[in-house]
Amino acid sequence: MQLNKVGISLIAFFGLGGLAVAIAPLFVGMPPEAAFTLVLLGGIWALTAFGLVLYARHQNRKAAHNDWIFQQGLRGTATILDAGSSATVNEMPLMSLRLAVEVPGQGKREVKRREVMPVFTAARMQPGLVLPVYANPGDPSEFVLVW
Amino acid sequence: MSDVLSSYAELASSRGLEQLPAFDPGPLTPLLVEGKGQPLAPALRGSLAPGVEGVAGQLAYKRNKTFRFNVALTEVPAATAFAPRVFCIRRGRNTRDDEFYGFEARHSKLWTESTALNDRYAVSTSPYQDPNWLRQLFSPSFVDWLGSRPPADFSFELAYGAVLGSIEEDDPGADGLAALCDATAHVATRIREECEE
Repeated sequence: MQLNKVGISLIAFFGLGGLAVAIAPLFVGMPPEAAFTLVLLGGIWALTAFGLVLYARHQNRKAAHNDWIFQQGLRGTATILDAGSSATVNEMPLMSLRLAVEVPGQGKREVKRREVMPVFTAARMQPGLVLPVYANPGDPSEFVLVW
Repeated sequence: MSDVLSSYAELASSRGLEQLPAFDPGPLTPLLVEGKGQPLAPALRGSLAPGVEGVAGQLAYKRNKTFRFNVALTEVPAATAFAPRVFCIRRGRNTRDDEFYGFEARHSKLWTESTALNDRYAVSTSPYQDPNWLRQLFSPSFVDWLGSRPPADFSFELAYGAVLGSIEEDDPGADGLAALCDATAHVATRIREECEE
């Protein structure tokens, strides 16, 4: 499961908070304009919580699929041909990698890949570095890069 | 600070290490990244133990307070192909949480197969680390050694061939620094042996 306490807290905050704000006008007397604003605000928060749940499910499925490739996939190597970063996500570099992937039975091919990596990992992504990969036996374009 | 300087000078003298005013290892491991580019100072370079070349030094950096670690750094480049990263961190040491902000796929996972090891350390790796290689690396004798021989506050990080041993004591004295160098060298030698298997 990809959710941790932070994710659960965010969903709970927007979901329960949105619900509370949306139903507050039922219990507290207020002008119709103010009630409409609160219902609208609560609805937006609830929609945000729903979006976060969908995103968490998507990430969970993606992680499960990668786990399956790792367990069932063909092991090979990826040699870094080129690496660079022009953006960060949560203080971590978003690396653009050009890789020569070689997997037994699937041949050798050049692919591009983008990965968010910790700083110490990004610093090591230099041309010539060889990393393990696990490729989907049925779809060589799907592979897990071990870094 | 002068006590630390004399501890390093004593170690340099006893092991024939070169004294450096400072040494910048770069962001090779998570602890060195935490150091925010601070160099190791003081620092020593040379043979940490027979057959193991490296650098020892003190890493100090400020976050909400000043943190000090004494570290020993060496290299086993062949390890990258087998285990890009393995972190064996003393339980109770505060580290940053796993670069994990709520919804993203985890970048690492705990390796918990050895209860003896997990009593004292939290071992984390890439989520897609070959578990067989780890089982071979953490052989029963190596686990026994990790559980009983290194300094009590010892941890190590293996990241892309860089092996960084560290202890948390501000001034462990020359004997403590020697024990750090010996422990780091032992870990590096064990990793090298397993890569050559």
